[in-house]
Amino acid sequence: MFSFIVRRTLSSIPTILILILISFALMRLAPGSPFSTERGLPPEVLANLEAKYGLNLPWYEQIYTYLRGIIFEFDFGPSFKYKDRSVNDILAQGFPVTLTYGIWSFVVAVAVGIPLGIAAAVKHNTKFDYAAVGFSIGAQVLPNFVMAPILVIIFTLWLNWLPGGGWNGGQWQYLIMPIIALSTSYMASIARITRSSMLEVLHSNFIRTAKAKGLPTSSIILRHALKPALLPVISYLGPAFVYMITGSVIIDIYFSTGGMGQFFVDAALNRDYSLLMGVTIVFGVMTILFNAIVDITYAWLDPKIRL
Amino acid sequence: MTDLIKPIFSVDDLKITFSTQDGPVEAVKGVNFHINPGECVGIVGESGSGKSQTFMAAMGLLAENGSTSGQINFQDHNLLQLSTTQLNHVRGKNMSMIFQDPLTSLTPHMTILQQMREVIKLHMQLSQKDTDIVCHQWLDRVRIAEAKRRLNQYPHELSGGMRQRVMIAMSMLCDPALLIADEPTTALDVTVQAEILDLMDELKREKGTAIALITHDMGVVARMCDRIHVMRKGQYVEEGNVEDIFYKPQHEYTKMLLDSMPRIDNPDKTSHHKLRSIDQQTTAGDFLNVDDVKVHFDIKVSDGFWPKTVPLKAVDGVSFKLRPGETLGIVGESGCGKSTLARAVLQLIPPTHGTVSWLGKPLSGLTRHELKDKRKDLQIVFQDPLASLDPRMTISDSIMEPLVTFAAGMPKKEMKQQVMQMMDRVGLDRNMINRYPHELSGGQNQRVGIARAMIMKPKLVICDEAVSALDVSVQAQIIELLMDLQEEFKLSLLFISHDLAVVREVSHRIMVLYLGRVVELAESKDIYANPVHPYTKQLISAVPVPDPKIERARKSIKIPGELPSPMDPSAKLKFMPSKLNAGEVNYIPKLIEHNPGHFVAEHDSLAELQAAG
Repeated sequence: MFSFIVRRTLSSIPTILILILISFALMRLAPGSPFSTERGLPPEVLANLEAKYGLNLPWYEQIYTYLRGIIFEFDFGPSFKYKDRSVNDILAQGFPVTLTYGIWSFVVAVAVGIPLGIAAAVKHNTKFDYAAVGFSIGAQVLPNFVMAPILVIIFTLWLNWLPGGGWNGGQWQYLIMPIIALSTSYMASIARITRSSMLEVLHSNFIRTAKAKGLPTSSIILRHALKPALLPVISYLGPAFVYMITGSVIIDIYFSTGGMGQFFVDAALNRDYSLLMGVTIVFGVMTILFNAIVDITYAWLDPKIRL
Repeated sequence: MTDLIKPIFSVDDLKITFSTQDGPVEAVKGVNFHINPGECVGIVGESGSGKSQTFMAAMGLLAENGSTSGQINFQDHNLLQLSTTQLNHVRGKNMSMIFQDPLTSLTPHMTILQQMREVIKLHMQLSQKDTDIVCHQWLDRVRIAEAKRRLNQYPHELSGGMRQRVMIAMSMLCDPALLIADEPTTALDVTVQAEILDLMDELKREKGTAIALITHDMGVVARMCDRIHVMRKGQYVEEGNVEDIFYKPQHEYTKMLLDSMPRIDNPDKTSHHKLRSIDQQTTAGDFLNVDDVKVHFDIKVSDGFWPKTVPLKAVDGVSFKLRPGETLGIVGESGCGKSTLARAVLQLIPPTHGTVSWLGKPLSGLTRHELKDKRKDLQIVFQDPLASLDPRMTISDSIMEPLVTFAAGMPKKEMKQQVMQMMDRVGLDRNMINRYPHELSGGQNQRVGIARAMIMKPKLVICDEAVSALDVSVQAQIIELLMDLQEEFKLSLLFISHDLAVVREVSHRIMVLYLGRVVELAESKDIYANPVHPYTKQLISAVPVPDPKIERARKSIKIPGELPSPMDPSAKLKFMPSKLNAGEVNYIPKLIEHNPGHFVAEHDSLAELQAAG
């Protein structure tokens, strides 16, 4: 088990390097530059700017310096657009915000989604099951840019219970609406996946054996059915967690939370090479990391995978 | 007479109905029977006869759409009236059940001990320590070697036979009055089947446990049961004690069942088709020549930090020649490489080593195109008839497909004509031509598979467990059909099966495989009359004979030890431990001509092997 974890972690390193190289190349291949404006800059100014940011060097030297900065100094370089701010500063400001509402959304989505899915499977073909399926479909098709304004209308404008936006250090009043808006569709997907995989497990032969032993329904579900039923859910949860904690543009813009999602879009629109690279790398590393965690969890859930 | 003994289990006018999309289907149509303490009652019938459903209802395991009427009385309860909670005090404790498929019947993520403990915790008051002792004793009792280690293993680390033993141990933990065994050995190899049946019989005698044995196999019934109920289409057509049923069957259906059973002790029953004798003097010449074929698969095993690959020798040096018009039976237990060999002969899996030549020319190394030409003459019929047909093609499209591939120029009308003729030939009704596989029964689908294989009039057909998934009555018809076709088209057959009785009935010569190597190859009658290799002897002695007197008088030969892993390099010396002891670990037993035409692999004598264990 230990050697599996080490191997799995080591094999992530080349993936991360390839990710960096490809995003670097794609960005340079896209037309335009951070300094292209409608009127155009005088050539001397442009040359100075490019020299300052190292854009005049050959591409391999650019990559080399960039990688060196990241690996040895954990430095993503200066931002091209936000003067006097480094990418590290921006990440340090935006990431805690998305992390906070992301983790909470994840917890809510899992805590509601999984039990809902299990209950629906156990009460298969009853009114409860139909209601749960109806909720899942409804919540999944309701996009968060529709959800967010509805929440604001109800809780801010009508009931006047919650502030309509802002962050304020992550006080709970400011967190509630972003969490609901972000978690609902994930909750629905989790419930749906859990329900169908639980249904499949409940029809398998070893559940029949457990029933024949005289076990009560609760232990059949918790001891025998839950672990195998969670396998497909886990593989969904890995990427879903990354999406949630890396923030959502809609949430950041609508609730003015100041999270990463907003910076990501700005960086892309502004051709802010270093910020975009920084954000991409953080997202990418997260994705790779959580996929590794999913694999390791799999090995724990399914004894056949222990290699 | 039965009034004196109070039955422990009795069923009174039981009806079971399933509501389906096509309306209600009555699976059990009012059956009555009882089981006395300590007796073994057999419920025999073919698939879909409803034989399991009675007991599923008793155990509260009916599918959600099933409903019941009538009574099932067990001890002092009417089981159909109990709530799930009440039933949970009975099932697993006083009445327990084992199932057909041991591979999937244990919870994969729990250790054997955890699964066994659960039962004791639920039904008995025992301390944790005593619980573990009881579990350990029961694993010993069902003769699982190294019980202590096995307790902490997961189901996938155990072989199928061991898992079924664990199931039996688990269901016997609370000393139930009734053990329901639903096809307990159908998924297992014959040698394992013999051991499991012996074990159940022993438990019945020692513990006085009554057994309800649900099976399709008349041989198993002959060995085990005191009384028998023959079931067909939801009703009992005949019931009585074992000797009456076997020696004086009354109902046509029972007679037919008994007659369809291939018998290893008597293959040439008068009602059966005689295998056409071929001239043994004809030399194989250059028909099909398989020379030292090996198929190795790379398997990843964890070994230290980096996993390494180890070759799994599925087929490890097999040579044989096939004569035109001859049937060679290939037998062996699961994992012996018989299906891999079939695929290697057809180049569906390229052999790692060795050559297969067809009509004097090697098949290996041909291009895709050249190989396609040869394929016209080389066909295969697979085990699972439904799964091997494309569900989206009508059966006529499936049968026609080889014509489209090999005789593309033929007018559509003529193709259709040929398909019709072939359908007539294999006994399919012409008006089925536009049906889809799921609308046909297993036997009909297998006829489609045979028609598809036969339509190009091939010279060689490989039947890979072609009749294993079918009911005995259907199996008999398909075998009859294959033998007719063989005679008509001068076919050669490679008939692969785990069922020795069937192979004996259809084959001129038989080859016995063990872990990818030939252990014995001889003419059919020789190999059954005078088996030489201990493994062959063991295999033949393990096949149950559908005749209670003969069956109960027979003694099965046991060779100690489990089937070794094919990745274990010393596995090939399983029957030659003397070489292992002498340190010649890499010795390969040679195939020696024992009598003219009768080849046997080198081995130690049976007595030595049994003494060594």
